[in-house]
Amino acid sequence: MNYESKTSAYLDKVQTGFAVLLLLTGTVCLPDGVHAGDEFSFEFIEIEKKPYKAGGYIELRGEHLDINQGSVFSGLNLSDPELSTMDLLHGSVQLDGSYEYGITSFKVQLNAVGQQDNFGWSDLAVINSAYLTLQPTPAVTFSLGKQSYKWGKGYAWNPAGFINRRKDPNNPEDALEGYITVESDIIKSWQSGHLQTAALTMAVLPVWEGVNEDFGEADRLNLAAKLYLLYMDTDIDLIVLAGDSQSSRIGLDFSTNLAPHFELHGEAAYIPELKKTYLEEDNSTSIHEESAFSSLLGIRYLSENDITSIVEYYYNGGGYSKEEMTRFYQMAAIGLDQNPELGSVLLTRAREVSLKGYGRPQPGRHYIYAKMSQKEPFDLLYFAPGIMALVNLADQSYSISPEAVYTGFTNWELRLKFSLINGEEYSEYGEKVNSNKLELRARYFF
Amino acid sequence: MYTIIRRLICSMCMVFLLTGTAFALDGNEILRQVDANMQPQSYEMYRKLINIEPDGKKKEFVLYTVKSGQDKMVALFISPASEEGRATLRLGDNMWLYIPNVGKPLRITSLQSVVGGIFNNSDILRLDYGVEYDAVSATEDDKFYQLDLKAKTPSVAYDHLKMMVDKETLLPLTIECYAISGMLIKSLHYSKIKDFGDGMVRPSVLETDSPLHKGYRSVMLFAKVDKRDFADEVFTLNYLAKINELRK
Repeated sequence: MNYESKTSAYLDKVQTGFAVLLLLTGTVCLPDGVHAGDEFSFEFIEIEKKPYKAGGYIELRGEHLDINQGSVFSGLNLSDPELSTMDLLHGSVQLDGSYEYGITSFKVQLNAVGQQDNFGWSDLAVINSAYLTLQPTPAVTFSLGKQSYKWGKGYAWNPAGFINRRKDPNNPEDALEGYITVESDIIKSWQSGHLQTAALTMAVLPVWEGVNEDFGEADRLNLAAKLYLLYMDTDIDLIVLAGDSQSSRIGLDFSTNLAPHFELHGEAAYIPELKKTYLEEDNSTSIHEESAFSSLLGIRYLSENDITSIVEYYYNGGGYSKEEMTRFYQMAAIGLDQNPELGSVLLTRAREVSLKGYGRPQPGRHYIYAKMSQKEPFDLLYFAPGIMALVNLADQSYSISPEAVYTGFTNWELRLKFSLINGEEYSEYGEKVNSNKLELRARYFF
Repeated sequence: MYTIIRRLICSMCMVFLLTGTAFALDGNEILRQVDANMQPQSYEMYRKLINIEPDGKKKEFVLYTVKSGQDKMVALFISPASEEGRATLRLGDNMWLYIPNVGKPLRITSLQSVVGGIFNNSDILRLDYGVEYDAVSATEDDKFYQLDLKAKTPSVAYDHLKMMVDKETLLPLTIECYAISGMLIKSLHYSKIKDFGDGMVRPSVLETDSPLHKGYRSVMLFAKVDKRDFADEVFTLNYLAKINELRK
C-alpha cells in the first residue's frame, strides 16, 4: 500500500467514524430521509439493502364441500359412500430466502402444508426451489439447482410449458415445485430496429434415481430451450424439449397488445410421438403412440370501468374425446354399483387409468376459461370481486366460482370463494367428488 | 436609393423576427428543461407511495426504480412483504408486470394500477413528459408558465395535461390530467424541493387527488435519485426476476 492509498484509507476510517458518531448522537439526519410535513416520512432504513432476505407467507384456509354422492370420483376417492359433506382446515407456510455475494446468489423457497379433514391429518413439505446463480454480466446468467419454470403465455393452461409443473386453473398464481436443472440465460437488446430483444434460455434436466424422477424415464438427459424475441412490440417464444425421458416436442407462444387495453396471447405445441394410455371397449388398457397438437388462444381486456376480463380457449390435443371419457366413467360406475367382490376388478382398473390420464385435471379436449374481476368498485380500496368459469365444451359441464379478495390490511390477503360444480352424468364436472365448495382463505405475508 | 430602401426593409424584418422570437414562448423548450430538471436520462431512485383513505387509513409501498434513455424503466416493489419482488417494466408503450409466484411477466396497461389508489401504472412508470406529450400552447404570468400538453399517441394514459411551471426553478408545481372527453381524471401537486446531489434539485413529494375518488389521496415521496447507467439487457423480461440485484 503506498502513502496516498494509506492516507485515503485513514481518511475514510475517520470519516466513517465521525459519521457514526454524529448518527449515534443524533446530531445529523440521514441525507436521504424525506419528510412531507409531519405527516409522512421516508427513512434510509426502509431502503437499506442487506445481502440476505427472508420472507414468505402463512396461510390458513377453511373449506366446506357438499359431496356429489354417487359420482364416479366420490366413489373412487372417498372411503365412506355415506359422506354427504366434508370440512377441512388447511394450513401452509411458504418460506422464501436469498443470499447475494458479489456476482453469485442463492435462492430458496420451501413450502409445508398440513390438512385436517374428515379422514384425519395429512401433511407434506416440499422444496419448491433451491438454486445457485452466477451472473458475470446483466446479459449472462448461469444457474444450478431446483428451479420452478413457468414458460408459456396462457393464464390457466400452458401447453407449450414443457418443463412446467401442471398448474391449477382455480389458483393459477400459486407457486409450484421446480425441477433440478443446469441453466444458462443469455440476453441481447438492441436500441433500434424491429427486433428489440432476444434471449436464449437453455436448461439441462437430468432424470436419475432421486433426481426429477417424476419427469419421465430415468437415466436420461433432457434439454429444454426457449428463445424469446420482442419483435415489433410482440413477445414471441420458441420452445423446444429434446431428450429421452419424455418424447421430444416443439412449441411457440406470443403476446401482444392490439390496443392499449386489449391484449391477445396464444400458445401452440406439437408432440410427434405422445405415448397415451387408452381404455378399450373390453375395459383393458393399451398404450398408443401418436402425434398431438395442442393450442391456446386468449385475450385480456380492461374496460373503462376497470373490469379486467381474461378469456382463454384451450384445445388439449393429448386429451380424451367425450366418448373416451364416457367409457371410463361408465366402467367406474359399473364397478361402484356392483358388489365389492365383483366390482373390485373394475374399480382397481378405474383407479389405475385415472392415474394414467383419465383422472388428471382437464383430461378432455376443449375448454374455455373466463375470469372477470373489478378493481375497487364503489371506491372500496383494495377490494376486488370477480367471477371465474371453467367449462368443458365437449360435455357442457362446468365450474363457476364467484370470489371476493380484500388486501386492505397491510400484508394480509383475504379471499372468500364459492364454487358451483355441475354437469350431466358421465361428464367431467358432473362426476367430481364435490358439487360445490365454500372457501375462506387468509394469507399473512412477512 | 433602391438599395437603401431594400436594406431598411430587410433590417426592419430582422428586428421584427428577432423580437418576435424573443417574446414567443416555446412550450416544448420549457418542457424539455422541466424534464431535464426533474430527472436525469439514466438513474436509479427510491420512492414511497402512500394511499390515504377518507378515514385516514394508510397503506405504504416502497419501490426501487431504474431508468435508461428515453423509454426504458423498471420499478421493483421492496415493501410491504405482500408485494415484495413484484416488478413492472416499461419499454416505450409496452408494459409488463412480474409477480414472483406467477413467475412470468403479464402485459398490463398504463391506466391500470398495480398498487390500488389514485396512482396508476403510467404515474409509477412515468417517462419524460416530452417523450409522451407535445406542448400545444404556452402562456405566462409573473411567476408561472402554463403549458397545455397534448398526448403524442392514443396509448398515452392521459389525452392532455395542463402543467403549471415555476418560472424561477423551471420545475412543475401542478399538473391536471384530462381524458379525451375533457373530464379531469386527477391533479398532481409537486412540493418540497430538495437537493438530491449531483446538481439534481427537484421536488421530493408528489401528491395526487381525483374528482373520481373524492376523499382519497395518494402521495409519492422521492429519495436517493442518483445518476447511474444500466445495460439495455436490464430492461428485458428475462431480467425482471433479478432487478433486486442491481441495488447497492
